[in-house]
Amino acid sequence: MLAQQILNGLVVSGVYALFSLGFTLVFGIQRILNLAHGAIFMTGAMVAYYTVAAGGPLWLGFILAIVASGLLSVLVEIVCFRRLRRTGDEEFGGIISSIGAGLVISTIAQQVSSTQILRFPFDTFPVVIFRFWGLRVSMLQLFMAGAAIVLVLVLGYLIYRTGFGRRVRAVTDNEHAAMLMGINPNLVYSQTYFIAGALAGAAGVLVGLAFNSINFVMGEPYLMFGFAIIILGGLGSIPGALLASLVFGMVQTLTIAYLPSGLTSTIIFAALFLILLVRPHGLLGKEDAGNLRGRR
Amino acid sequence: MTTLRLTDLEKRFGGVVASEDVNMTVPAGRITGLIGPNGAGKTTIVNMITGMLPVTGGTIHVGDTDITHAPAHEICRAGLARTFQNIRLLGETSVIDNVLIGFHRHKSSSLLSALLGLPAAGRETRALRDRAMALLDRFDLARFADYPAGGLSYGHQRKVEMARAMAAAPDFILLDEPIAGMNDVESEGLAQIFRGFAEDGKGVLLIEHNVRFVARLCSHIYVLDGGRLISEGTPDHVLNDPGVIAAYLGDAHA
Amino acid sequence: MTGAIAGYLPLFDLYLIHLGLAFSQYIVLRAGVFSLATAALAGIGAYTAGIFAVNLGMHPILGLVAGTLTGMGAAVVLSIPLARLRGVYQAIATVAFIQIVLSLNIYSESLTGGAMGLNNIPKTVGTVTLLVFAAGATYLIWALERGRIGRAFDAIRQDEAVAASLGISITRHQTLAFALSGALAGLFGGLEAYHAYALDPNQFGFHLLITVLSYVILGGRNSVAGPLLGTALLIILPELARPLAENRMIIYGIMLIVVINYLPKGVADTFLDWWRARRLGRQGGAP
Repeated sequence: MLAQQILNGLVVSGVYALFSLGFTLVFGIQRILNLAHGAIFMTGAMVAYYTVAAGGPLWLGFILAIVASGLLSVLVEIVCFRRLRRTGDEEFGGIISSIGAGLVISTIAQQVSSTQILRFPFDTFPVVIFRFWGLRVSMLQLFMAGAAIVLVLVLGYLIYRTGFGRRVRAVTDNEHAAMLMGINPNLVYSQTYFIAGALAGAAGVLVGLAFNSINFVMGEPYLMFGFAIIILGGLGSIPGALLASLVFGMVQTLTIAYLPSGLTSTIIFAALFLILLVRPHGLLGKEDAGNLRGRR
Repeated sequence: MTTLRLTDLEKRFGGVVASEDVNMTVPAGRITGLIGPNGAGKTTIVNMITGMLPVTGGTIHVGDTDITHAPAHEICRAGLARTFQNIRLLGETSVIDNVLIGFHRHKSSSLLSALLGLPAAGRETRALRDRAMALLDRFDLARFADYPAGGLSYGHQRKVEMARAMAAAPDFILLDEPIAGMNDVESEGLAQIFRGFAEDGKGVLLIEHNVRFVARLCSHIYVLDGGRLISEGTPDHVLNDPGVIAAYLGDAHA
Repeated sequence: MTGAIAGYLPLFDLYLIHLGLAFSQYIVLRAGVFSLATAALAGIGAYTAGIFAVNLGMHPILGLVAGTLTGMGAAVVLSIPLARLRGVYQAIATVAFIQIVLSLNIYSESLTGGAMGLNNIPKTVGTVTLLVFAAGATYLIWALERGRIGRAFDAIRQDEAVAASLGISITRHQTLAFALSGALAGLFGGLEAYHAYALDPNQFGFHLLITVLSYVILGGRNSVAGPLLGTALLIILPELARPLAENRMIIYGIMLIVVINYLPKGVADTFLDWWRARRLGRQGGAP
C-alpha cells in the first residue's frame, strides 16, 4: 500500500516538476513571478483536447499543445513584462500584469469551452494496467513519468550543456554584462519563456489525461502548488525546483491517502507559510527574501 | 561634552574581518573626518553606525546612549542623523514633504488624533510646515517647496537631503561622501553649510574620498585602510604620515 | 424617475461595500506592504458577523464590531510573519493565507456551513448605513494620509532605509497599516453579510482579490481619490453596455495590463500629478 502510494507520488512529482521548472526559470532570469503560468498550463490541456476532439491523434495534440503554450508564454512576456522591465517596476507591476494576463487567457478559455468540463473521448489513451511485485501501474502513469523525465533531461541539457544555456545563465547573472558580451537579452528571454510555457503546456496535457477533466480554472491549484514548490526549492533554482517537486508530490500523495481530504490544502499552504518564515530562500536557493537591510 | 564614540568596533563576515579595533571620537561642535582609499572599509563603518549592519564586536555610543545594537530607526531618536552616499530623496514627493518627514521623531499629537484627523493633528502639521519652510529658506530652497524632489538638480537635491537631516534636530550628523559628483562651486556651498552645523554645536562626521576637501574642513582626521585605523590627528599630521601616503599611493597604483 | 434611481441602488450599494474593501487594499500598498490579504480578511469579518447573527442571534451592531475586531486581529497576527518578508514573498504568503482561510472555512462545516455557505442572515443593512460607513472610511483614509502617519507610510514605501534613518519604525507602521486594513476589510465584510442574506466561501477567494486589486491599480495608490474613482469606474463600466458586462473579467484583465504598463500611477493620481505640475508651471520658476 505504501509502496503503491510512493509510486503514485513519483508520477505526480513529475508533473509538478514540469510545471514548476518553467515557473522558477522565468523568475530566475527576470525576477518576475509569472502568475499567468497556470493559465498557460491550462491552455496546453485545452489545445490537446480540441485537437483530439477534432479527430487528430493524441501525439499531434501533445505537440500542438507544447508549441501553443510556448508561444502564448512568449506573448505574455512581450505584452506584460517587456515595458515594465524598462521602467524598473517589474516586481510589483509584473505580478499585477500577469494576473491580468491570466484573467484574460482563462476567461477566453471559459467562453471557448462554455464553462464545461471537457473530457477526452474514451480510449484516447489506451487503458493498460501492468502489475508487478503487487503494484499497479497504468500505461498512462508510465507515459507521464517517461515524458516528465525526458523533458526534464532535455531542459537540463539545454541549460547546462549548450550555448543557449550559457547565455541564459549570463543574462540571469547580469543583463548588462551579457549585453556587452553581444548577447541579445530579449531573444534569450523569448526563448526562456517559450521553454517555460512549453513545459507547462506538456504538464497540462498530462494532467488533463490523468484526471480526464479539463476546465478553464484547472491551472489555479497548480499555480498555488507551483508557488509552494518554487519557494521550497528557492526562487530561481532549477535543482531546487526538482527536489521540491519530489518532496511536494510525495507529501501530497501521502497526505491525501492518510489524512482527511478537506484539510489537504490547508496543510499545504500552512506548510508554504512556514517555509517562507523559516527558510525564505528555500532548500537550495541563495537569494534572501527581500531586502531585510540592517537591524530592524 | 557629548560625543559620538566608537570603541573597539569590529565587523566580521563569517571568518573574514572587515573592520577591527576601530576607536573614534566625534566631539560636538567640530567637523571630524574619516578618510581612506577605495575599499578601506568606510562603508562598513557607516553601515554599522547607522544600524544597517549588525555589529560583531565593540560598542557605539551617542552621548551616554548605547546604540551598538539599536535598530536603525532608534539611532535617529538617539540624536544621530545621516545623509546618503547616493542622494536618497523620496522622488515622487514634494520638496517640503521630504523635509516634513524629517520631523517625524518629534511627535506631539497622539496616534488617535493623527488617525482621526483631529484639530491637534492639523495644528501639528501646520506648525511643522512653517518650520520646514524656515529650514528650506535657510538652505535657499524655499522657492522649490512644492516641486517633486526628484526633478531638482543634483546640488539642490543634496541640500534638500541636508535640510531633511536637520529637521530631525540631531546632535550629530553623519555625512557619507557628500560632495561626490559636485563641482567646485557646489562643494564650496556645502562646505559653508557643514561649518554652519559645527557652529550650531552639532558634531559632524564627514566621510570622504576627497582628501583635500576633508583637510580643509576638519580639525581631526581618522584614516582607514584595510578595515583598520592607520593614522589619526590634525590634517597636517595625517597628510604627512608615510603610512597614509603609502596607502593612497598603493591605491593609485592598484 | 424614482424607479430609475431605485434600479441603480443595488449597484450603488455594491460600490459602497467594495469601496471599503478597496481602502483596505489601498492602505497596505500605501505603507509599502505587498499584501493581497484583503479578500480573506473580508471573509473572516463577514463570516464572524454572519455567525453572530445566525448562530448566536446577536444584534447587528455587535456583529459588526466583532467582524471588525476579528478582521483586525487576523491582520495583526498575519503582519508578524509578513514583517520578515518583502515584495514577491509577501504577495505569495498572503495568497497562501487566502487559500488557508478558504479551505478552513469549507472544512469547518458545522460553524460556517461549509461549501453550502451561510444562509438566512437577517438583512439589517441598507444603503444609508452603507453610505455612513463608506463616508467614515473615506474620511479616515483622508485624515490619515495628510498627517504624520501618511508621511511615514510614503517614506517607508519609497525607501525603507531613508525612513529608518529618520526615526520611522518600519515594523510599527506596517503593523498599523495591517490593523487598519484588517479592520476595514472586516467591517465591510460584515456589512456585506448583513446586506446580502447569504455568504458563500468562494465569494472571498482569488476572484475578490483580483477585483479589489483592480480598483486600486486603476484608480491609483497614492491618494484617497484613487480607490474612490477606480471602484466607481470598474463598477459602472460593465453597466454601460451588455458586451462589457459579459466580458467583465477580460476587461479587468486587459485593464490591469494596460494601466500598470502605461499609466502605472492610476487614473486619479496621474490626473492629480498633472494638475499640480500645471499649477506650478503657472507660478513660473522651473527648478
